Order: sequence, then C-alpha cells, then structure tokens
Amino acid sequence: MLNIDNFRSAGRPVVIRIGMFLAMMVFGAGLVLPGPAQAKVKVVATLADLGWIAEQVGGDDVEVEFLCKGHRDPHVLPAKPSLARRMKKADLLVYNGLELEIGWLPLLLDAARNPRIRPGQQGELNCALALGEGGILEVPVGEVDRSQGDIHPLGNPHYLLDPRNGIAVGHLIAERLAVLDPAAADRYRQRADQLARRIEERQKDWETRIGGLGIRKLIVYHQHWEYFAAWMDLEIIGVIENRPGISPAPRHVEGLIELGRQHNPVLVIAATWNHIEAAAHVAGKIGAELAVLPGSTLAVEEATGYLELFEVICRNLETAGAARPKADS
Amino acid sequence: MPFPAKTLIYLMILSGIPALALAQSSTLTGASRSMNPAISVNGLIRGQASRDNPTGDLNGFKIDGVEVQFTSVVDPFWKANFNIGMHPAHAHEGEEDAHAEGMVVHVEEAYLDGQSLPADLGLRLGKFALPFGKHAPLHMHQFPFSDAPVAIAAFLSDHVFADTGAMGIVTAPVPWYSDLRIYGVSGEAAPFDAHNKNLAGGGRLTNLWDLTDDATLELSGSYLHGPDARHPGENKKVDMYGADLTWKWISSARTRGPALNLTVEALWPDYEEGEGDPWGWYGLAQYRFHRNWWLGLGVGQADAGIDHAAAEEPGHEGHDHGLEGDLREYKINLTFAPSEFSAVRAEMVYHQDKVTMEDDLRFIVQANFTIGSHPAHLY
Repeated sequence: MLNIDNFRSAGRPVVIRIGMFLAMMVFGAGLVLPGPAQAKVKVVATLADLGWIAEQVGGDDVEVEFLCKGHRDPHVLPAKPSLARRMKKADLLVYNGLELEIGWLPLLLDAARNPRIRPGQQGELNCALALGEGGILEVPVGEVDRSQGDIHPLGNPHYLLDPRNGIAVGHLIAERLAVLDPAAADRYRQRADQLARRIEERQKDWETRIGGLGIRKLIVYHQHWEYFAAWMDLEIIGVIENRPGISPAPRHVEGLIELGRQHNPVLVIAATWNHIEAAAHVAGKIGAELAVLPGSTLAVEEATGYLELFEVICRNLETAGAARPKADS
Repeated sequence: MPFPAKTLIYLMILSGIPALALAQSSTLTGASRSMNPAISVNGLIRGQASRDNPTGDLNGFKIDGVEVQFTSVVDPFWKANFNIGMHPAHAHEGEEDAHAEGMVVHVEEAYLDGQSLPADLGLRLGKFALPFGKHAPLHMHQFPFSDAPVAIAAFLSDHVFADTGAMGIVTAPVPWYSDLRIYGVSGEAAPFDAHNKNLAGGGRLTNLWDLTDDATLELSGSYLHGPDARHPGENKKVDMYGADLTWKWISSARTRGPALNLTVEALWPDYEEGEGDPWGWYGLAQYRFHRNWWLGLGVGQADAGIDHAAAEEPGHEGHDHGLEGDLREYKINLTFAPSEFSAVRAEMVYHQDKVTMEDDLRFIVQANFTIGSHPAHLY
C-alpha cells in the first residue's frame, strides 16, 4: 500500500525536494556556465575569397559560410536549393558583383526568402563598391550584345586577383559589419586594418618574385587575369576564349598561336577550371609554358586562404617561368 | 524659337528620342526606364518528318512556341512575373484565347511572389505553373526533349501546366532541403473541368540531398485534386498522385564539364468515374559529354489501363486526353548548345500503341533561342 510518508523527509515532500534540486542545478549552472552568447552575425559570402576575407574581418563576432567552392567556376555555379537554404538565416550577404554571380545568385536570393539580404537592405553588400572610380577594368565601350559572348556589361568582375582590391573589400565589409553590429564596430575596423597590413607585407614579396621572372607577356584562357596583370604590370596579348563563355573558333586559335610566336617568350595562363587541353594546345604550338593557376581561394588544396592563393599563384608562375624556353637569352 | 526647331522638337517627342536621352534623370517627365522589367523572348522552331503520318502538322517546319517574359520587383512587398505564350492552335483547342494565324496567344503565367512574409513563408498569387512532378511545370523551352513525355501530355498538359489561384510555400527545418508547396486554384488546367466552380488544389513535397559537391538526389511526391474534365458539368472528381526521383551530377572540375541527369517520374490518376487503372511514367537520361554537346535518351508510357476488349465494342465512348490504349515512346536526341542562349537538337522519336499496334517514327530538328534578359533556371 502506498504510504505517503515514504515520500516525506524532514517535513518536506520528496517531490518538492527533487524540484528544489533541479532548480538549483539549473540556476547553479547559470552561475557557472557562460550566459547566452551574444548572437553572432551570420555572413554568407558567394565566393571563397570573400568568405575568407569576411572571416578575417569578422573574427569571433561572425559566422561565415560561402556558396561557391573554390574549385568551381563562379560563373556557372548550379543554383542548388541547398545553397538557398544557407542564405535563409543570413544577416549579411557578401557578393562579388559586376554580374559575376548573375546566373545563380538571383535565383538563390528568391528561393531563400530572406528579406534582410534583399537588394537595398543593410544585409546586402556588393563588394565591387570597394573599387574606387576607375578601379573597374574592361568596362565595355559602345554597344554590347551577346555576339561578344557572355560579356559582363558592368566590367571585368575578377578584381579579387589584385590583392589591393582584397584590402579595399576588407574595409568595406568591416564598415557594413559595423552598421549591423555597432557594439563590435571597433573590432571589425581593427581586424580590417590588420588584414591590410598582412596583405601589404606579403604583397611586396609577391611583386618582387613575379617581377624577377622576366615574364612580361601573357596569353590567358579567359579574361580572368586582367586585374592580376595590371597589378604586376604584365601585358595580356591575347585571350584564347575571346568571347566569354563561347568555345574559341579554330581560326581565332590559329591567329593567337601566330601572335604568340611573334611575341615569344610569352606565358599561357589558365585557371584550374578552364579547358586546360585547349590552353595546353596553344602553349605547345607557340612553344611557351602553360601555368595552370588557382583562380580562387580553395581552388587547389594549398590555397587555403586569400594570402595562400597568391602564394600558390607565385609559386606556379615561378615554376613555369623557370621552365620556359630562354628564347630571349 | 524658330519654327523648324519647334518642329524638330515635336518630331523628337513623337519619336521617343527624349525618352532615351532622359532615361537616367526623368523624374519630371516620368519617362524613366530604370524601373522597367527584365524582358526576354524564347523561341522554338521545329522541323519534323513523320514516317507513318505524312499529313497534317506532323510534317514540315513550324514555330513550336514563342514565350515573352517580363520580370520585375513591384514594390517592397511583391515581385511579379508575366509570361505570354504563343503556340500552335492545335495544342489549345477549347481554350478561350486569342487565336491568330494558327497560333494561340495566351497567358502562361502571371503571378506575384510575396517578398516579406514572416516565418520564412512564401506566397504566390496569380496564374502559375503547378508544382506537380518534375516535368509538368516546365515551359517548352526547358523541355529535355522536343515534346513532353506521353504520360505528362496525356494526363496533365503538353505545355506548361498552369492554373490560377494561390500557393503557399514553406521550407521544413530538417537537415536536408525540403519544401512543401500547397495550392488552391480555380481548375482551368487541362485535367480539370473548367466550367465547374469547385476549386482544385494540391501540393508537392520536394526533398533534395547533396550527396557530394557534385551530385544531388531528389525524391519528391505530388498530389492534386479537382473536378474531372472528362465529365464536364457532372461534378466528378479526379485525384492525381505523382512521385519522381532525380539524380544529378555536374562535374565541378571544369567549366561546362561532363554532367549527367537521370530522372524517373510516375503518375497515377484516380478518376471518380471511369474504368481502368490509368497510369504513366517516363525515364530520361541527359549526358553532357563535351562542353557544347548533350546526348539524351528517353522512354515513357501512358497506359489508359482500360479493358481493351470492352473498348473495342461498338458504342464505347472512349476517353478524353486522346488516350485510349497503352502508348509507349522511345526517344534519343543530340543537342548542340554553343552558349546558354541557343541550342539546336536533332531527335528521333518512336511511338507505339501496344493495343492497336499502330506506330510512328518521327525525326525532329528543333532550334531554341533566348534573347533579352531571361532569368536563369532553377537547378
């Protein structure tokens, strides 16, 4: 027979004592454990480069995800619904702009149904805004139509291949994070300054190494390296994929090979996701070296960050430069 | 002001030249174009030869369809999409649309998408493609083959399967991508009795898993319910069940590198009044074996599921949708897509009715082009 006294102790029912014990555990834990963490700013970057920069600037105050894996060509990322899912909770969308992501980002933005990151909101950040007046290269002049291929009407979007633009983007992201999270504004700005210093320290080394290679003329597969070439004072004498997104015509390739022979020594450059066989064919016919370079952070295993990206580019160019025929000597 | 100058200004006004000049700063005149919608046109041109039906529209060249699309943000609350389609008249007999020169002009889609709903909800209002299966919501220029699979054409629609109403969308908080779409529509689409005032409705649950960086698996189910078009005015109902499975792989190693898409879809109509157990299915494979080249293989079936002996008896009224027997189809095509904006494909299609044993072999060449600012398509 149930005896209520079995559940009493020192005049208090056992259930009350258990309740008190649980309450102490909960409140005690509240004293010992850290309180609810300050919510981090959720950042979604379209590209691995931008994700890395946002991580450096945001530090522990942000959570960063990026959409396009570094080894993928960012022009043609499949707009998978799972990517839209990542954007649902974002407080800040950081994107390259200049219509690099036009084939997939608008779709994902619609599918995400996140009003915080829609155009015009504080949570939408077009990083091309970091480029000052005149900072955008290859803005088409005159009539633009698709006979010129999948051309970018607003200008060449591959500005992150000049690390000086990476510095500007870092500051831009810091300012926007400061707006979204004013309590940490100083930290964002300090980290952006630190990032700038880190890039500038390495930049001199990269410039010295590339400058010392004696490479002045490039043939590139895609118009991906214009900012890189402008930074390094290199001349791009031809583009294999002369109409962006369109396979080059044999006649164009033949003309380019002839041009390359006239200008040799040249270096042929392709990004890891380009049609390497076509680039190798051109390089072989010219008698030039082909350098396959990572076009983005994480494009290859060693390019673990934005700084390492340039390190790998330099290393690959040094290798190609060392191997090229010494026609000029 | 001298008279000729005035005349010139009037001519400029009439010609619209000031609108061009003031495009960027015309708040005073209201002639700004900066808020204009994105406009695009898709065109499909077909040449076809039929081995066994050398008459009628199965042979010769024709415009398969033209679709004009307008897309724009309306205001902070809505985004709008408006799509006008022009297709050969035979595909739309009975529709109350404007007919001209053997073509039907009709609104394929005209809808608003809510932009700022709470709790991650989506809302679509207007005429929109109904999310039943993988193929039925596609516009013709998105078809993997020149024509819809026989099962889709027989039980749903041979072009985009659209109706007018409202649809709610919610994404499930699960570790994979899962979204549920539920709609109520007026019941104007092909399987519904358009004159019946009862609403039609349905839903679709889409589940998609990222298997690897390059591969996804989608498993989805669809359902719809509405007044049966086969019994106009009788208030008979039709339920339709569908399931589809898609495995998609797109190599990330190269721009426009190899890609493979395998899809299988089945649907089962359940008519309140009708004989047999109709059903249909199709399977297709699309393989990009070179940057600009795709190979497609397709197989499909639409089975009326009727007692064929009874169907042959005198006085048998037959069924709607032109489906009497057990249609089978086998397709192969080769597509050359030099850019995202044009493609040409050569296709061979073999049809056979397993009941009558009638068959047909068709050779099709189809060109597909897009001009203007056309939104990219979902994955």
